[in-house]
Amino acid sequence: MRERWLDPFRVPQPETDSAASMPEAAQGGGHRGGTRPKARAKNMSGTLRRLWGYLAERKLKLTAVLALVALSSGLALLGPYLVGQAVDLYLDEGAANAPDFPWGWFLLLLGGVYVLTSAVSWTHNVWMISIAQETVYRLRTDLFAHLHRLPITFYGRRQQGEIMSRLTNDIENVSGTLNSSAIQIFSSVLTLVGTVSVMLWLSPLLTLLTFTVVPLMFIGIRWITRRTGPLFKVRQRSLGELNGYIEETLSGQRIIKAFSQEERVQGEFRARNEGIRAAGFWAQTISGFIPKVMNSLNNLSFAIVAGIGGILATRDVITVGTIIVFAEYSRQFTRPLNDLANQWNTLLSAIAGAERVFEIMDEDTEEKEDGAAQPIERVLGEVRFEHVGFAYDEGKPILSGVSFTARPGEMIALVGPTGAGKTTLINLLSRFYEPTEGRITLDGRDLASIRRDSLRSQMAFVLQDSFLFEGTIRENIRYGRLDATDAEVEEAAKLANAHSFIVRLKGGYNKRLSADGSGISSGQRQLLAIARAILADPSMLVLDEATSSIDTVTEIKIQEGLQRLMQGRTSFVIAHRLGTIREADRILVLKDGRLLEHGSHDELLAQDGFYAELYRSTQRGESVDSASESAGSRVSEAAEADVQAAGSGPKRSSFK
Amino acid sequence: MDKVLSSLGKYRLSAGVALFMMLLELAVELSQPFIISRIIDAGIRAGDTGVVWMWGGVLAGGALLAFAAGIIGSYYAAYAAQGFGYDLRERLYAKVQGFAFETFSRFASSSLITRLTGDVSQVQETIFMALRFMTRIPLVVAGSVIMAMVVNLKLGLMLAASVPPLLLFVWWMIRRAGRLFQLVQQRLDRVNGVIQENLTGIRLIRVFVRMDQENRRFREASGELMRGTVGALRLTETTLPFIMLLVNAAILAILWFGRLDIASGTATEGETVAVVNYALRTIGAMSMLAWIAAMFSRAGASAGRIREVLRSGDAASSAERAGVERLAGADVEFKDVSFTYPDSDRATLEDISFRAPAGSRIAILGATGSGKSALAQLLLRLYDADAGEVRVGGTDVRRLDVRSLRGSIGYVPQEAVLFSGTVRENIAWGRPEATDAQIAEAARAAQLHETILNLPQGYETRLGQRGVNLSGGQKQRLSIARALVREPQLLVLDDSTSALDVKTEAALLGELEALRCTTFLITQKIASTASADLILLLDEGRLIASGTHAELLRGSGLYRRIVESQAGKEARHA
Repeated sequence: MRERWLDPFRVPQPETDSAASMPEAAQGGGHRGGTRPKARAKNMSGTLRRLWGYLAERKLKLTAVLALVALSSGLALLGPYLVGQAVDLYLDEGAANAPDFPWGWFLLLLGGVYVLTSAVSWTHNVWMISIAQETVYRLRTDLFAHLHRLPITFYGRRQQGEIMSRLTNDIENVSGTLNSSAIQIFSSVLTLVGTVSVMLWLSPLLTLLTFTVVPLMFIGIRWITRRTGPLFKVRQRSLGELNGYIEETLSGQRIIKAFSQEERVQGEFRARNEGIRAAGFWAQTISGFIPKVMNSLNNLSFAIVAGIGGILATRDVITVGTIIVFAEYSRQFTRPLNDLANQWNTLLSAIAGAERVFEIMDEDTEEKEDGAAQPIERVLGEVRFEHVGFAYDEGKPILSGVSFTARPGEMIALVGPTGAGKTTLINLLSRFYEPTEGRITLDGRDLASIRRDSLRSQMAFVLQDSFLFEGTIRENIRYGRLDATDAEVEEAAKLANAHSFIVRLKGGYNKRLSADGSGISSGQRQLLAIARAILADPSMLVLDEATSSIDTVTEIKIQEGLQRLMQGRTSFVIAHRLGTIREADRILVLKDGRLLEHGSHDELLAQDGFYAELYRSTQRGESVDSASESAGSRVSEAAEADVQAAGSGPKRSSFK
Repeated sequence: MDKVLSSLGKYRLSAGVALFMMLLELAVELSQPFIISRIIDAGIRAGDTGVVWMWGGVLAGGALLAFAAGIIGSYYAAYAAQGFGYDLRERLYAKVQGFAFETFSRFASSSLITRLTGDVSQVQETIFMALRFMTRIPLVVAGSVIMAMVVNLKLGLMLAASVPPLLLFVWWMIRRAGRLFQLVQQRLDRVNGVIQENLTGIRLIRVFVRMDQENRRFREASGELMRGTVGALRLTETTLPFIMLLVNAAILAILWFGRLDIASGTATEGETVAVVNYALRTIGAMSMLAWIAAMFSRAGASAGRIREVLRSGDAASSAERAGVERLAGADVEFKDVSFTYPDSDRATLEDISFRAPAGSRIAILGATGSGKSALAQLLLRLYDADAGEVRVGGTDVRRLDVRSLRGSIGYVPQEAVLFSGTVRENIAWGRPEATDAQIAEAARAAQLHETILNLPQGYETRLGQRGVNLSGGQKQRLSIARALVREPQLLVLDDSTSALDVKTEAALLGELEALRCTTFLITQKIASTASADLILLLDEGRLIASGTHAELLRGSGLYRRIVESQAGKEARHA
């Protein structure tokens, strides 16, 4: 017999509570309710087979667990049966013939059964937990490692939150289920079958009478769940709405205060709060019937066993011991029935979770695409784009027909409105994407023939919203080259103009940065990213310049740091500032995925095209971005491009 | 009474009924072993069928009674719990809305959200469970032991003897398991943290080819999680086998002495059977104790977090409401104003003084962190100055009625915060009674009208999660329209045109010039300051220069440098 037991991550349900009565939201804590539909596995047998593949690595232990579960189910039946025997054979004074088995030995036997029951159930539980956790560990680390092998395009297609949820919620789900539900289902089935068999063997008549409550139970539960299903759906929806409203109004609290809308917001809140009370009340009441129905049927079957069993006993059809055994067994068979219903739902959702995990593992990896690619040594950095095009979907090119050459050490500025293809170009260069037409060469070699990791170790990125890891400043800079000494780290920081602000921080180089990046400003983050890139000492550089949010002084510092970083390296700069553009060796003006114009600043001015117009409007004091959105296009058109870029293409914000 | 539980006060009648119903159920269940002892002793052994029928009928009647009690109890428990949750949420929300902004900022808004959603649900669910099950469990244990002693004192005492060590064990286990699971939770957080970081920084990791290092880091974290989980679960899994072992030992003793006593006539067969049955019920109830303790301790933690909100900020919010005077004009004056954010140790603003006549346009210029936004917050009384006076219409803002003050200000924050709903609802958000004409007028002034008409459902287009996503510039313009529709006397734009292209911005500024309100324009762009009546140049919390564009070009080196860095460079080349 396996009981539900304390585990804060899986709230066990008291007595005879069913799955429906404990909605996910109650356990989910801070989750937004109602956002995740209950998932069912699409390919259950396939998923089970793969999950089994993971479990099978501990086949021997698993077999032992199953055997022990069978044993403990049997022992759980034996205990009450022996108590019944004790009553009939030893306690009944009227018993005709005293048994030849001594009473002391009998009790010793019973004691032995009891000790064995506890020992066996403890052993199989503990073993199962270690099997389950090891399995989950492998599943988790495999999935994680796989994430690092997936092509970046995968991350463009999926939302981060969704991937995150597979690695956390879905795996936790599998973990919880393997911990207990799996063997609980097995043990429930065994207990059920065993109990019914022994009952039939002892007294078919009383068994039949006891079973009259089973249809009642099913009818009752069905009546309830048919009503609670829709009720819970409504409740989840209103809970989601309420939580959404709370989230929104608390995040926007400044606006609410500034517009003195507190009272109106409170009124709207009250309406939603009342909504959830109305929805929650009936859902909770009716689902609360389930344990009551189960309890009452237990009571009823107890009454049948005691009352009718008693009559039968007076006519010597059955013995008193049988009544006692039945009284205990009848409790034991409604419980597994109920357990089964509970565990079945958990199991199904865990299989669906496992399926979502395997789905990601089935995605093709970058290595697979790499094929016969070779590693490279240090490159000079001559980059050629030959009629390069890229499209996610055929017929909707994001970039097309781009050709240019960047000579070693040159600085290339990329200019154009949002959604013009600047980021895509960078993604192609770093082989996050593969061109769908044309080819890119590096020092004359086709990029596709160069291994990705080897290519990328020749490059460094400094992006607008510099990503830093949780850890010290020193660790974050050292990320550029893991074997760098402290002195080298500091040297890089000095070159990047970061040293002076770092030493002023409390803790200096050992100051810990939190994941959300609080503690230092965005300009300082960028200085750290520059230091990291300097330390990496790459042949090629990709920079996404900072825009208006950085103040003048920091901007000058960043500019200096970048200058030092770019020296002698082929650099691609997504330029937002005129100063950068003017200094570039070559400017690529992109619009709608095409290379509109290219050349030096003076050449482009002489052409008097898009760039020239752009330049003129920036002279009026605008930033390049806003100017490039207005230059040569109507406002609404640019806004449309904005929306499109947000919908389909790779956004800059995703380039972290 | 406790601040959290007082929400239950209104529903104490329902809660009382629910508890009473639960006790009824309990009584029915506890009577069963006793009745079976009567059936055996007075019925079967005495050969009296009538007695058996009678007690069997009593059992069936009891089952029906328990059923009725269960249904009624469920209804009242749900009523009490839902009412409690409703009331608590209502109080919390009202409390939070009544917070002074300063108090509000002390809590992270994400933490407040959790308290209002997850924590309230947790406490509410626990109350429901308490009314239906939890309080029953200890009573089953106590009741079984007492009933066993009533049936047969000596045999009952054997059962009673096993209870103290069991309680002790469960108590020890709960404490230890609590600590272990806390550790597990920490490790789980760490695992999730690594995942989060890796997903966010995936490109960086690729570019620096650090996959192996990250994999190793993750394996370490997951390994720790695995070991922690196994350790914690291994402990909790010992509990039930141990409880069973102890109570089963008591059953052996009851059987042994039961037989002796039956022989000596001090006990009957039925009594022995009844006591054994009570012992079996004790096992079932005991196994739930740890679960109840865990649930209560979680609910306790949640209640603690809720209490913290309910208790804080009473003083501040009453101070905020102290002012009663109506706003008398739209001229603004800062007199020697100094201000430090509550959680900061550096002054945000120091000795700021300036005058802005009604209807004038003030541009505030300065680097990030120079105190520009703080200035706006003081004007809105989201914060109060530490020293000096902020006067609007000649009255210290602290003496003004906050609603009257804020009602006259159109505020456009740095980050365009929109609410879910339609475009129209968002524009009219600060003035729900605004007519269609007024809404369209505001949208036109904000250069948004045309864009809205091009949206799928025009003004009725839904925004946000289930609707259209606007671009940054569109959001900013919408948030400007929202401020304009209120026809404010003062308009505060906190760097809210950064995503607009120059033509749109120019058109917008033109519209603003036509308005008669006093306008504060916080910006980083020289282009938008040039035509202001007064430019305030802030640096590290100090007002280092003020005047018109021409005056500052002459008088302020920093201003000239900023002008040069943005446009002047080109000017020199020309």
